[in-house]
Amino acid sequence: SDGAPGPGHWDADAAAGGLVDLAVPGGAFSGRRAPCLKNPVLGPGVLQAIRIFHTRQPSLAPIPCVPEYGGKVCLGLIPKEFFQFLYPKTGVRGPYVLGTGLILYSLSKEIYVITAETFSAISTIGLLIYVVKKYGASIGEFADKLSEQKIAQLEEVKQASIQQIQDAIDTEKSQQALVQKRHYLFDVQRNNIAMALELTYRERLHRVYREVKNRLDYHISVQNMMRRKEQEHMINWVEKHVVQSISAQQEKETIAKCIAGLKLLAKKAPSQPVL
Amino acid sequence: MNENLFASFAAPSMMGLPIVVLIVMFPSILFPTPSRLINNRLISIQQWLIQLTSKQMLAIHNQKGRTWALMLMSLILFIGSTNLLGLLPHSFTPTTQLSMNLGMAIPLWAGTVITGFRYKTKASLAHFLPQGTPLPLIPMLVIIETISLFIQPMALAVRLTANITAGHLLIHLIGGATLALINISVTTAFITFIILILLTILEFAVALIQAYVFTLLVSLYLHDNT
Repeated sequence: SDGAPGPGHWDADAAAGGLVDLAVPGGAFSGRRAPCLKNPVLGPGVLQAIRIFHTRQPSLAPIPCVPEYGGKVCLGLIPKEFFQFLYPKTGVRGPYVLGTGLILYSLSKEIYVITAETFSAISTIGLLIYVVKKYGASIGEFADKLSEQKIAQLEEVKQASIQQIQDAIDTEKSQQALVQKRHYLFDVQRNNIAMALELTYRERLHRVYREVKNRLDYHISVQNMMRRKEQEHMINWVEKHVVQSISAQQEKETIAKCIAGLKLLAKKAPSQPVL
Repeated sequence: MNENLFASFAAPSMMGLPIVVLIVMFPSILFPTPSRLINNRLISIQQWLIQLTSKQMLAIHNQKGRTWALMLMSLILFIGSTNLLGLLPHSFTPTTQLSMNLGMAIPLWAGTVITGFRYKTKASLAHFLPQGTPLPLIPMLVIIETISLFIQPMALAVRLTANITAGHLLIHLIGGATLALINISVTTAFITFIILILLTILEFAVALIQAYVFTLLVSLYLHDNT
């Protein structure tokens, strides 16, 4: 068939196929599910006979709720519906009068005989009533606590699972937000690299400058040294030649002049004591 | 008035039909099956009790012994419930009948012994001789141990029967004493009634204890043999 029909359309193929299954002797149940019905003589008869079973879906859901409180009883035994039942005819005290009358009647007519068993009955039933009255509520609470523990355990598992998923969602969201802000990181890294490059460039520039300056200084100092040497050499040459040019006679005249001058000076300052 | 003291222990029959089968099957109605995850109070308490008892009882067994878990738990539940129901007035307790107790004790004991002999033959045979016996005593001791082995099912059955029957009889007798004393002196009757109440409390305890003891002993025989 060509896929599921649209809503509201009766799936003729499936229905026909289903019915065809039943029409064939032992059709729906042959082979896998009920090989015993493959018998061609008895198969159809059994099939038609059990058609009345399994006509409805098994009612698994929705299951009926557990009632929270038990039915109301009077004297722990007789349901309140009985009292309601007798109320229109006998009023409120009707059932009690009925009960008392029945008990007294059975006692007086010896339908119920007072024997040893009576006393054991009184003691046993009295004991039971006492125990139920005294500890009934606490045992009920204990049972409720057991159920509550079970539910709390499952609830905890559920909550833990929900919490886990919530945490995963939050982590995912924060990761997504982080991805949005990633460009800051890249900008910082880019700036870093640019600064490093700039630094390297400037350092190299500075080094080049220093090297060039070194070379130029060298040339300048070489020049200075040459000039100084030339100057000294010139001074020496001039001195040598001047000294050479002084003849012997000029020398004697100069020395005589100096001595005469000195004598004059000596005459001018005689009173100066020699210290 | 009952014909004799033991009329209440006769197997009950209604119009000639033995309804003792119905009485034996009755306590199973009182243990509902848990059908949901969270049940009503009765089933919750029942689940908790069975879990407590089974954990405590099966702790000493190994893997092989724990296959008996269902058997032991059914045993203690059945004996406990029948004993407790028998304390109600005018009721019949199946465990007062020796036939039924023998029917419970002998197959269970035989099961443990045969299991032991089948899977651990040497160890089971070694149980017949306690450790450290002097050499001359060995033949006698083997005979004594054999006798003690074969007495185990008898002891199980008779212990249960005797305890429950004796308790019921005592209750009956003291109830009768109270009844007879009412005409003579009310205070003495009252004292006797107090004794009856104490006895009833004891009987409740005995009912549960006997169930426990029975199951415990079967469990011990099982432990020896697995």
